[in-house]
Amino acid sequence: MIRAARRTGLVFFPAFDWAISPSHPEREERLLYTQDQVLEEGLLDIDGIVEYRVRPATYEDLRRVHFCVPDEAAVTTESHLISAGGCLVAADAVLDGEVESAFALVRPPGHHSRRVVHGNRGFCNINNEAVMIEYIRGKYGIKKIAIVDTDCHHGDGTQDIYWHDPNTLFISIHQDGRTLYPGSGFPDEAGGPNAQGFTVNIPLPPQTGEQGFLHVMDELVMPLLEKFEPEIVINSAGQDNHFNDPITNMNFSARGYSTLNAQLKPDIAVLEGGYAVENALPYVNVGIIMAMAGMDTTFVKEPNYDRDYQEQPPEITRNIEQIVKQLRDLFLEGGLKTVSYEEGIIVERSRDVFYDTDGIHERQHEKIRCCRHCAGALAIASTSNLGQHILAVQIPVEACTACLQIGLAWFEEGTRGAFSHVYLQDRVRGIYECT
Amino acid sequence: MILGLDVGGTQTDAVVIDKGQVVVATKTPTGGDLLTTLRTALENTLRDVAPAWLNRMAFSTTMATNAIVQDRIEDTGMIVSAGPGMDPEWFSVGPSYHVVEGCLDHQGFEAEPLNRVAVMDAAARIREEGIKVIGITGKFSVRNPSHEHRIADWVGSSFYHVAMGHRVSGALNFPRRIVTTYLNAALHGLHKEFLDALVHILNEKGLAAPRYLLKPDGGTINLDKSIYSPASIAQSGPAASVMGALALDGCEGTTLVLDVGGTTTDMSVVLNGTPLLKPNGIRLGAFQTLIRSLMTHSLGIGGDSEVGIAEKGGLRIGAVRRGRPMAMGGPAPTPTDAMITLGLLKTGNKDAANAAMEEVGGPLGWDAATTAQRVLKHMAETIAESAKVFIHDINSQPVYTIHQVLEDQKIEPTSVLIIGGPAPQIAEYIGRAFGLPHRFPHHHGVANAVGAAVARVTSEITLQADTERGSVIIPEANVENKINSSFDIEQAVALGRELLSQQAVRSGAEEKGLEISITEKQMFNMIRGYARTGKNIRLKMGITPGLIPEWKRSHYE
Repeated sequence: MIRAARRTGLVFFPAFDWAISPSHPEREERLLYTQDQVLEEGLLDIDGIVEYRVRPATYEDLRRVHFCVPDEAAVTTESHLISAGGCLVAADAVLDGEVESAFALVRPPGHHSRRVVHGNRGFCNINNEAVMIEYIRGKYGIKKIAIVDTDCHHGDGTQDIYWHDPNTLFISIHQDGRTLYPGSGFPDEAGGPNAQGFTVNIPLPPQTGEQGFLHVMDELVMPLLEKFEPEIVINSAGQDNHFNDPITNMNFSARGYSTLNAQLKPDIAVLEGGYAVENALPYVNVGIIMAMAGMDTTFVKEPNYDRDYQEQPPEITRNIEQIVKQLRDLFLEGGLKTVSYEEGIIVERSRDVFYDTDGIHERQHEKIRCCRHCAGALAIASTSNLGQHILAVQIPVEACTACLQIGLAWFEEGTRGAFSHVYLQDRVRGIYECT
Repeated sequence: MILGLDVGGTQTDAVVIDKGQVVVATKTPTGGDLLTTLRTALENTLRDVAPAWLNRMAFSTTMATNAIVQDRIEDTGMIVSAGPGMDPEWFSVGPSYHVVEGCLDHQGFEAEPLNRVAVMDAAARIREEGIKVIGITGKFSVRNPSHEHRIADWVGSSFYHVAMGHRVSGALNFPRRIVTTYLNAALHGLHKEFLDALVHILNEKGLAAPRYLLKPDGGTINLDKSIYSPASIAQSGPAASVMGALALDGCEGTTLVLDVGGTTTDMSVVLNGTPLLKPNGIRLGAFQTLIRSLMTHSLGIGGDSEVGIAEKGGLRIGAVRRGRPMAMGGPAPTPTDAMITLGLLKTGNKDAANAAMEEVGGPLGWDAATTAQRVLKHMAETIAESAKVFIHDINSQPVYTIHQVLEDQKIEPTSVLIIGGPAPQIAEYIGRAFGLPHRFPHHHGVANAVGAAVARVTSEITLQADTERGSVIIPEANVENKINSSFDIEQAVALGRELLSQQAVRSGAEEKGLEISITEKQMFNMIRGYARTGKNIRLKMGITPGLIPEWKRSHYE
């Protein structure tokens, strides 16, 4: 009987009865062939690979992270709740000690979902990883968490949610935003005033191959994790860097993903994108499951690998080496220019957010209280072309008294303003309010 | 009349059923030689039954299980083609296992052609080792059996028997397909010998009625047809009991069936008359197979289990059986002794039973009667504990659609049905431990033989249609047809019905009134870019375990 070297949990939820639209890449069939391959390999019979049944997440779970406008029911369907809930099942399996690591192979994905949600962006409504992380923090008292996002698209939603949180290290490896949706994720996006250097973006050129990704792992990601010393590591395991993927331009492989995973050893991996549903996902997912279980993945490769996989061109290699050197200087050698903000001052920024899937335009004005003791009170005024004009106030986990008070004051003030809704997410007292 | 016979580990039970009534019931000790046991049991049972009166005979035997567990199966060569994934050498089975190059993908497209030289070479090596039977298994062969067929064409003629993986089951699971193919090949000779000998005995006694063997999924198969999948009749004992419970009781609601035997208690669940099936195949010894079976769980506690005091101080029952109860001259106290002490059972030597109870309870300051009550209470509670875990595991099975998550169907037994020899003696205790209505049927002691007698033929097919590939395939029926892009789910269902009916009738089912159920029905659009390139239709249909029409007619009309 074959045994897994590491006990691994698998939460598989293919949502065979859900699609964004009939011909959308995020459709019923997406994990069908992955399921075929996983079943045919007999992975679920392996001693030490345990499959779990999903459960839906609750609105309460979402409210630790999101401000859904106007409310949760309006921007989520059952599938979003089950997908997020699948991640909670994976988290429980790991943190209750039943397994050493777990893979939530769920859809729909979530890493483009930001803190404020008016609808669907980049196929995502609810940020599965963030909902899971805040559940973990609440239930298991874990503080320092690292997220390594290996989806081909910049994890801009996750970045937005953890922008101000110095207890969450967010690393995103992705195809350069000048060449791909969502167009962000550059090295100068390094975190808000209270969390400078805790967001690390690693944009890579199109055609990056196994060599490039693994170089980034060795020289950048692993040292960054070593430095941050997280209690747990989450992998946003998008699979669209694959050379067969139809909507990206990278050159990664099942073998590469397996090696990356074996090196990263995430406590929990969560599926994100990946739309080569027939000729990449089945092999990448089998590779990731086997790698998590500590099994030899030598024989995992795409049937067309020998024919179609292309070595990374030398100029790309040089380009990547340069990027890595630049980022090492910034984030490992102390080169990042941080601004020293005076305690208690309010820093503001404005931006536009476009929801490509739902065609929504949102205008945000955000203010954060600079604080050395906590992640800082946060207020986001958000207006959408759907007619919503809301104020969302967040008092972070373990907020200091000053941030708690200013957060409450902002909320109070908001309720007297002209907003269509005012929300309060008070993580200190575990309260979520909406007017 | 119907003859039903179930060979158990220690006892062989047999019944004759006439117009829905058990008219003969016998118990014959199971001896070392299966055929001798069968002959004796037949003689014991048919003393007053004329051979011509029988219109059906069904047997649940231990032939395949024993051969596997005792490692008496024939040396078998394996030729396996895999492709990417797990290292196929990990699944090496048997004395001569060979991996050859060749690969199909999950859709059944050829990703790498078969290496003919490697196949010929593997076959030559198997022959050199003096091996006469082979198994051929390919990864994804249920999506396209052409590689397996080609290997068989190239080398099959030089072997006495060839088993092919795609015929085993339509389910996806390459390692289990390898193992099941191997067992089907390795049991072929033994099974044939057994069938010949059994037929010889039956003919000798003038027993010419249609003959069936019971399978672990609670269904039967025509004796002659069983030769194509000899492993699929292994470990039918627990299924015999469940089918017997169903026949004798009807099992309305959600019934937890407990078969309390001498050494074990087997549990299973019947949902409104339909027994639950395991999602994967049965395990035979060390082999995890694709052989369909009922969902059963065996606990090492029975009437003859040894009773003692646990290290922590409480009572301990099982998992050892040291022999007969002390009241019958055995070496150690047992729950049966407790039943005798309490006067629930009127056999054996009551003084010896009392002594057994005093031996257990004395050190704790309990008298024989108190000990006996506590033994039975503890036994029932242990069974109830184990049943709780069994039900919990069933309810933890993953689901893959939103519909299923929201429906959140959970099994919650509404009553307990007890069968097996000690059913009447333990029933009260079981009822209390479970806190549920409980009952035991008449003929509870030979329910297993009744189950074998009246179980109908089961059969299953898996259909996959891929309009992009232009093929519909039903591996179990050895059918692959060309289809065009307009093939739809209605056509798939119609084709499935037709082939399943044919297969069931070949296995010995009555053509009229076949109850076909569709257990899986999915259709996906296959899309490249934003254009539909085809449809992918998947069906699982079967004749689920149930009772023969004759029994139902005589019982419910």
